[in-house]
Amino acid sequence: MGSDEDFLKRSRSPAYTPVPRVKPADSPETPAEKHPDPQLGADLIDARRYTSREYMAREWERLWTKVWLLGARLIDIPEPGDYEVTEIGRESILIVRQADGGVRGFYNVCQHRGNRLRDCGLGTTGEGRSFTCAYHHWEYELDGSYRRIPDIDTFAQGRPARGLREVSCDTWGGFVWFTMNEKPEPLLDFLGPIPRHLDPYHFDRMVQTRDITVEWNCNWKTSVDAFNESYHVQGIHPQLLWYLHDLDIQIDCYERHSRYLIPFGTLSPRVRRPPSIPEPIKSIMKGAGMDPADYDGPIADIRGDVQKHKRAQGRAQGRDYSRLNDDQLTDDYHYLIFPNLSLNVHADDFWIFRQRPHPTDPDRMFYDILTYDLVPQGAEWPARVKHRDWRHGDKSIGTVLDQDAANLPGVQAGMHSAGFPGLWIGRQELRIRHFHKVLDDYIHGSGGRPAGAP
Amino acid sequence: MDLGLRGKKAIVTGATKGIGRAIVYLLAAEGADIGLCARTEDEVAQAVREISARGVNVVGETVNVRDGEAYKAWLERAAAALGGCDIFIPNVSAGGGMDSEKNWVKAFEVDVMHTVRGCETLMPHLERSGTGSIVIISSTNAVETFGGPMAYNAMKAALLTYSKQLSQHVGKKGVRVNCVSPGPVYFDGGAWELVKGTMPKLYDWAMKQIPGGKMGTPEEVARVVAFIASPAGSLVTGANVIADNGFTKRVQF
Repeated sequence: MGSDEDFLKRSRSPAYTPVPRVKPADSPETPAEKHPDPQLGADLIDARRYTSREYMAREWERLWTKVWLLGARLIDIPEPGDYEVTEIGRESILIVRQADGGVRGFYNVCQHRGNRLRDCGLGTTGEGRSFTCAYHHWEYELDGSYRRIPDIDTFAQGRPARGLREVSCDTWGGFVWFTMNEKPEPLLDFLGPIPRHLDPYHFDRMVQTRDITVEWNCNWKTSVDAFNESYHVQGIHPQLLWYLHDLDIQIDCYERHSRYLIPFGTLSPRVRRPPSIPEPIKSIMKGAGMDPADYDGPIADIRGDVQKHKRAQGRAQGRDYSRLNDDQLTDDYHYLIFPNLSLNVHADDFWIFRQRPHPTDPDRMFYDILTYDLVPQGAEWPARVKHRDWRHGDKSIGTVLDQDAANLPGVQAGMHSAGFPGLWIGRQELRIRHFHKVLDDYIHGSGGRPAGAP
Repeated sequence: MDLGLRGKKAIVTGATKGIGRAIVYLLAAEGADIGLCARTEDEVAQAVREISARGVNVVGETVNVRDGEAYKAWLERAAAALGGCDIFIPNVSAGGGMDSEKNWVKAFEVDVMHTVRGCETLMPHLERSGTGSIVIISSTNAVETFGGPMAYNAMKAALLTYSKQLSQHVGKKGVRVNCVSPGPVYFDGGAWELVKGTMPKLYDWAMKQIPGGKMGTPEEVARVVAFIASPAGSLVTGANVIADNGFTKRVQF
């Protein structure tokens, strides 16, 4: 047993020199300024919200069926009759390109006996432009109305008054969004500041490079939390300490959504300056078209020099960075679009990690890895990757994500323990606290969370 | 055993970190005067301050050894300030990497040419010494395959050949020339700390190759270097001394 002083000496976060950052005035599009931190107290976050079936049911009723959710990518369904089936909890949603070029969404269920119309994933009706149920061949138009019901004369009651049950759809960022809310607010109201922040990246110029779903053995929020703080870098991603600054991170919590800005291409103050440029930082330099063997400056200058190089060379490489600020050329602008999208956004690529709840089990979820790379102007548009479904731990999803994945089942198991009342959240984890506050607002409404509720 | 280093004048390049730093601190502790250089100003100032406290003469400057003229000028200044040079230890290296042709140019200019220029510039001083001694820091990467066809490995091998032939050439003038080839050396802020952090599989592999299960420390390498550099090592010239705790596997006849 040591004294408090010994404990603090061993435990304090290291001092550091702040990383140079772009001035808000030099970032005309994506706002760079720090948003005032919300005052959210220091209470435990109750572990039961990760394990309780009752809480899960409440989430379905008050959250998942009320919010806007990511559905499909527009360029994946270019022609009338092209569709994508996406699943969320117990529901399956059919998003269909219409004859007029618009997009509509339907519950993916035949009105006759409840059969699923189409399997999950991308597909097309082809020229037939209809959906026929495989069971009794009830056939639907692209707009969900009936084209044919075999032997309709044998139904004394005629056909159902409504065709396929529709969900609201809208588009932003080249993606189709849907909501099961029957009286939804407009998508752009729900997204709030997000389009202004992310439009400058031109997602429409990026091709999909990964499309993987892994069934993870944890609650969906256990996964959201894992991407919502940088404190774990020193714990489970030690190699990233030679790649990014894990302490000088700007956190901005908005009304529902949040972000943090992580300087990439620099050393963490937790590690000593090495004798040569670390491989992870070299990879950033090479990505920008720089030759690390040519670089004679100190490692601390690399981030700024990469920014200058990309600013100078981008256009010649077919990469239009004109709407991005300098920090966006190197750093990770990491967004949480509430409730279930973690976005790592960079000048040349962006990654969506989507966490979807399991239909019935709070200890399981679906983790989607959707990544996209900027296609240089003038280059041929490459084919999109095929979708893959994996189970937890089946295959490597990359060193960093493997480290995240390996950790999560243990966290989920611990949530069930009588020895664990709830999450003890620090300042580096402010986004976790904010996320759970927004979740509370959905679950409990304006009255707030009653005393004793998870 | 008295190494006979008291009052000797040693010039060491790249002497604020790792092996170079351990060498100058040990030589100073043995009573040698020190001339040192490195790239970072505050680190040079700190090393000069700390070594002065041991009561020996020390001069230090920031020098980029790739700049041949500036480097040679510094060597002359250091020898003049110290009143001669008995020991020269070229220690700076460009390090590994095989991702660019430029690594070859860099390794050639730094590892090879800074050694050659240093030996040639200081040779008149070393000849005048009577106990003149050069210890070139090579690497076990020169004698066994490691890490791929890197410029670093080939340039460290060039130093072995250069060292042997130079030893024959200047032997009659009373100057000894040797190489010390360390295996993996671990220290805070060193290359192997970086490997451990960013390439843990390579680190684990290297550890398995060492029968004693321990990488070298800069201080252990420095003791080998100090002996060979000192008058006590008078019989050793043209040698390549492996200091690797058993990392390499070849038989050295």
